Amino acid sequence: MDIDARGLACPQPVLMTKQAVDKDRPSRLTVQVDNEASVENVSRFLGTRGYETTSTGQGDLFTISARYALKTQEEPGSTATAESAPADPVTDSREKSQKILVLIATDRMGFGDDDLGQKLMISFINTLGEMGNDLWRLVLVNNGVKLTIADSPVLETLRAYEKQNISIWVCGTCLSHFDLLNEKQVGETTNMLDIVTAMQLATKVITL
Amino acid sequence: MGTADDAGVYKISDDLALIQTVDFFTPIVDDPYDFGRIAAANALSDVYAMGGIPKTALNLVAFPLGSMDMGVLKKILAGGIRILEESGTVLLGGHSVEDDELKYGLSVTGFVHPDRILTNQGLKPGDRLILTKPLGTGVMNTAVKAGLASRDQIQEITELMATLNRDAAKIMTRFPISACTDVTGFGLLGHLAEMVAGTRNGVRIFSDQVPLISGALAFAEMGLVPGGAFRNRQFRGGMVSVGDRIRPALRDLLFDPQTSGGLLMGCPENRVHDLMSALHDQGVSSTAVIGEVSDNHPGKIGVV
Repeated sequence: MDIDARGLACPQPVLMTKQAVDKDRPSRLTVQVDNEASVENVSRFLGTRGYETTSTGQGDLFTISARYALKTQEEPGSTATAESAPADPVTDSREKSQKILVLIATDRMGFGDDDLGQKLMISFINTLGEMGNDLWRLVLVNNGVKLTIADSPVLETLRAYEKQNISIWVCGTCLSHFDLLNEKQVGETTNMLDIVTAMQLATKVITL
Repeated sequence: MGTADDAGVYKISDDLALIQTVDFFTPIVDDPYDFGRIAAANALSDVYAMGGIPKTALNLVAFPLGSMDMGVLKKILAGGIRILEESGTVLLGGHSVEDDELKYGLSVTGFVHPDRILTNQGLKPGDRLILTKPLGTGVMNTAVKAGLASRDQIQEITELMATLNRDAAKIMTRFPISACTDVTGFGLLGHLAEMVAGTRNGVRIFSDQVPLISGALAFAEMGLVPGGAFRNRQFRGGMVSVGDRIRPALRDLLFDPQTSGGLLMGCPENRVHDLMSALHDQGVSSTAVIGEVSDNHPGKIGVV
C-alpha cells in the first residue's frame, strides 16, 4: 500500500497513515512525505502500531517504508491484528529465522596488535553477511561508530547491508562525543533505550 | 537594549522606562471569544517577562469582511478586552485591514523602573530555573486540528493559554531574579538557548521535573508533533545534548512551540524555596523547578 502525503501539513500525513492502518492493516506500506518532521511523526506513529520503519530521501521527497513486525511487544493482545495481516513471504521467512543483533563497541577486533585488530574488524564486517537472513541488526557504539564515517574501510559493506534491510544503528551519544554527528555516512542514529529494547527482542546478541 | 528579547525598552527618565511589544497571529482555537483572550494574554506576556506592568494597548486586526460575519470580530475584540481589563491595561484604539485570513493581536506598552528591567541575559552559576506553565500547547493544538483532543482537553489548554503571566510576574519582581523570558515560539529549549548562547553559563534540565499538559506526551508519542518543534530542534540542536534514556516524544515537547507560554526565570538557589511558596500561594500552581545553571559547560544545555 502506498500513501502520498506530500504537500500536506502536520498532522495530515499522520492522520492519512492512521486511517490506512486502522482500515486495512497492511503488512507493508510506504508513505511519501515532503519534510523531515513528517518523516519522524509518521515513523513514530507506525512504531506505536507495531511496524518497523526505514526512511530514505532528501530535499522535498522522503519515503518511509514500513513492515508489520508480527512479534511486536507494543500491542499486547493484538494477536487478532497480527493474524489478520496478510501473509508476506519475506516477513515470514524472516520470522522463522533467528534475529541476531551484533553489538560492536570498537573499531578493531580484540586486543594486542592494533593494526591486526583493524584488519580483523574489516574482515569480520565483510564476512558478517554470511549469516544471511539471521543477521537482523548491527548496533555501533563507542569507537564502533567510527566505522560509519567517510574514511571507514567498511562503509560500502555497511551500506550494502542496509540495502538488504539489515538495520544499522549508530549510537547518538557516541557520535556527539567524538564530534562526528555530521560525519556519519550510513545507518540511523539511535539511543540506549532503543538498543536495550532491541537486545530484548533479538534471539541472539553478539558483542564485540 | 541589545538582547534578543521580544520587547523593546526605551528609557524616559531615571525612574521610568517604556516597554513596547507587538504580537498577532491567526486563530488557534475555534471560539472567537477565546481566541481574543489568548491573543491578548500572549501579547501582554512580553511586558510581564521583562518585569514591567502593562499600561496601554492598541488592537491589530486583519479581517475577511466578505466571507465572515462581523459578529465574529466583535467576539474576538470582547475576549481581548476581557483580558486587558484583567491586566489593568487600557485599550486606546487600534487598526484594522481587510485580509483573506483572520488575524488578531495587540501592541502593548508597559512601564518599568530602568534599574529593574529583566531580560533573558544574566543567569548566574548556581541559579535554579523555574517554569510557571506546563508545556505542550503546540502538540495539543496539533491534536485539536487532528480531531483527537477531547472536549476537556481543549477546555484545559484554552484556559491555560488565556491565563495571564501577571500573577507570576508580580511575585517575580519581589525576588532577586537574574534573568527571565516567556516561553513562546522557540519552545523551552529554544528560549533557554537564547539565555545561554555566548555566555559563560550552561544549564542542566531535569526532564522529569518539567511540567507537561496532561495528554501532551501521549499525542507526541503518536506523532502529533508540530513542524515548529522540529525546526526549533534543528536550529538549536547543536547546543543541546539529550540523555539516552529521554524518550524522543519528551524531547520534542521540550522544543514544542508554545502559545502564551509561562515565564522561565533564574533564581539564586537560596531563594528558590521562598519563591516557589510565594508562586504557589498566588495560585501559579503548575510552577516547577526544572533545572540549574552552572559554568561547567558554557553555552550548552544538557537534558537529563
